[in-house]
Amino acid sequence: MRNFGCLTAVAICAALAGPALAQDKTITGAFDVGPGGFPKGFNPLAVTSGFMWLKTYYEPLVVYDAGLSELQGALASEVAISEDRKTYTFTLAEETWHDGEAFTSADVKFTFDLARNPAAASVFAGRLSAIESVETPDDRTAVFTLTQPDAQLLTIIGQVMILPEHALSQMAPESIATSDWWSTSPVGTGPFKFSRYVTDQYVELVADEDYRGGRPKVDRLINRYFENSAAAVSALRAGEIQFTYVEPDDARSFDGNDAFRVIEGPSWVVNYIGFNNELDLWDDVRVRQAVMHAIDRETIVTALYGGAAEVANCGYTAEALVPGGIEPYPYDPERAKALLDEAGWDETNGSAPIQWLTYYGTPQAANVMAAIQAMLAQVGVNVVPRALDTPTYNSITYKVDGADPAQFALNYGGLTFGPNPAQLNVALNSSQIPPAGQNIMRVRSEALDGAFAAALGETDDAQANTRWQEVCRVMNAELPWATMWVANRYGVVSSDLVDFVWTPAPGGGPYADHPELWDIR
Amino acid sequence: MTGYLLRRLGVGILMLLALSVLVFIMLRLTPGDPIDAYINPSAPMSPEALAELRRRLGLDQPLPVQYLAWLRAAAVGDFGFSTQRSGVAVLPLVLDRIWPTVLLMGAGLAIAIVVGIAAGIWGAVRRGGASDLALSIFSSVGISSPPFLTGLLGLWFFSTQLRVAPSGGMLTPGAPFSLWDLLGHLILPACLLSIGHAALIMRYMRSSLLEVLGQDYVRTARAKGVREVWVILKHATRNALLPVITLIGSTIGIAIGGAIFLESVFNWPGMGLLLVNAVNGRDYPVIMCATLVIGACVIVVNILTDITYAAVDPRIKVAA
Repeated sequence: MRNFGCLTAVAICAALAGPALAQDKTITGAFDVGPGGFPKGFNPLAVTSGFMWLKTYYEPLVVYDAGLSELQGALASEVAISEDRKTYTFTLAEETWHDGEAFTSADVKFTFDLARNPAAASVFAGRLSAIESVETPDDRTAVFTLTQPDAQLLTIIGQVMILPEHALSQMAPESIATSDWWSTSPVGTGPFKFSRYVTDQYVELVADEDYRGGRPKVDRLINRYFENSAAAVSALRAGEIQFTYVEPDDARSFDGNDAFRVIEGPSWVVNYIGFNNELDLWDDVRVRQAVMHAIDRETIVTALYGGAAEVANCGYTAEALVPGGIEPYPYDPERAKALLDEAGWDETNGSAPIQWLTYYGTPQAANVMAAIQAMLAQVGVNVVPRALDTPTYNSITYKVDGADPAQFALNYGGLTFGPNPAQLNVALNSSQIPPAGQNIMRVRSEALDGAFAAALGETDDAQANTRWQEVCRVMNAELPWATMWVANRYGVVSSDLVDFVWTPAPGGGPYADHPELWDIR
Repeated sequence: MTGYLLRRLGVGILMLLALSVLVFIMLRLTPGDPIDAYINPSAPMSPEALAELRRRLGLDQPLPVQYLAWLRAAAVGDFGFSTQRSGVAVLPLVLDRIWPTVLLMGAGLAIAIVVGIAAGIWGAVRRGGASDLALSIFSSVGISSPPFLTGLLGLWFFSTQLRVAPSGGMLTPGAPFSLWDLLGHLILPACLLSIGHAALIMRYMRSSLLEVLGQDYVRTARAKGVREVWVILKHATRNALLPVITLIGSTIGIAIGGAIFLESVFNWPGMGLLLVNAVNGRDYPVIMCATLVIGACVIVVNILTDITYAAVDPRIKVAA
């Protein structure tokens, strides 16, 4: 009996003490918080963001540098592009999968065949449609043949994580999409290996001892899930995590705090007010111009973004892509009223309420929309903001049969224009109207379609920027959207982290952040 | 007693059925189309593919037919698959989340009961004194503080400012299991959950005890020379507890509601967080199942409360 008592006491002590403080080096972050994240998005073919985290254990063939200025090799050590831009030859790096199997060109072919297969619920299927075939002349070479030049192809390829053929080829494409393999035993080639997923709580990775870039400096990487960025900020301040995305107001609260470093960068996302082209309401370009003149964008940027945003007069703000001489649409409510009068606004709509949808649920977005609502009301346009959860928003805007355009006469959203401006095409080209693509505002402009076609098909690098300037010029003149601004985004990192790289890339990148070099003091 | 229990269980099942109908109808009344939960918005489907998916899921059937199909499957424990989590069956997912909620709610209620009863007795005995006044103020503030407010303030103060408690989760990510770790994560949300309930219990306990202390049998006990502590704890408190027990039983349903808020604030992986995530993600099968399980818990707890009531007060016959 006494022995039993002793054993029980020892067991209780052991349970209480617990080796909670592991001695290995661990970086814990809220890597999927914010617009670049995709919490619980384990299948890299089914996500539109979260690539920063996915790249810690998978890898694409090519990847942007951390400044998002140019593509460089990842799993491909070299890329050769033919003069006619219809053949891409990738020379592959020597690497093994986390389960010890060799990485070969067969994995590349398998991945891109799967990514182009709509049955696999791949979000890349449409965007990789220019690829005619992927050939594998040897284990270290993959050759992509295109039906036509595609200026955004390498950018898209940079988001496709290469998957192991030996682990997935036995599954039908339909079941791959819904398999629990992604969250239980995925195998990649990245610097960290998948260890475990604690449902809805966190994902744990461990260092890949034989990563070709060298063994990671920390032993474990943990991605904690949070309901919102405010909760993540609390954990950051409490010292439980070392990194999170933060809202602009939270970022300012870290000013002067030496225990943290604030990282600020452009979002590469243009915020816009989209006009639903299915409605006659917006047919007259003078009405769309009036909306632009009615909104004091400079004041909103100063007052609500603390100056950390750049006014946009077309779909992007990159200096090289914006031509000189485009209309700046300065704040001029009198001009806006005159334009509305000329267009006969009182007859077409007058003061009738106009539904204005958004999927943004942040307080800042609510403030921005309230300010715009007041400004538009001053010129006689009565908009009614309505913030919806994303599924509801999508169910209304993507609806094909029985869609009621009056339900979303206007939208307030954001679209990625970088690192490659070609990404705007999916939301503005008339060929991308749902269900084909993401042109939810049903923009139909021959001039814009033509400008996109010329830019996307341009094979001469020297001419590419001129083509994109033309797209900008058409957007600025025709105003399929009232473009607002490109805001900065922020991350906050503990000063304990060494060589940690993060940038607010759209969709979380991916970009060359070299997680194997991250360290913690 | 057995007959009473069977009757109560029968009523409970009818209530669950009514609840399932109500939730089913309410979900269908929300804006949007249930089919949206099944499709990837970034990869819109063609109208033909959408119609085929709708047919396969039975969403092209009239609502009563859809409900009966769901009920038939639910009766044998098949609540379908989560739409947010590929290939994950709903029932195990929901059942896995019960014990974290029970742990949080149980700890919160245990603290509330101990603190509330003790403070109520103290307030009644020290009626009109400074400590009674202080407890009355605590009680008023506690009752009028919703859990999401106390949760956020507590998180900010204890985790962010004082750094004496973790900011969320049930266990330290990546660390092996230890009881200390669990208790460390539990203590703050449990205490915050207990505030409102402790305040309410205290108020009931105080007024009930004050009433009992004026009864003849208490005076008789005192006249017999029974020690004051014994008079209060044995003679008066036991009888004063009756309305408090009823209150505790009825607050369990409220506690579940509070736990839902606190689980969201503290990222506690229980039923509340599961339900909130399911609502945000339109995971209809999970919403249906989680709501029913929560409803079943409330019904069972209410039956248990009635039985406890009878055990504490021998004058009450549950079968009556």
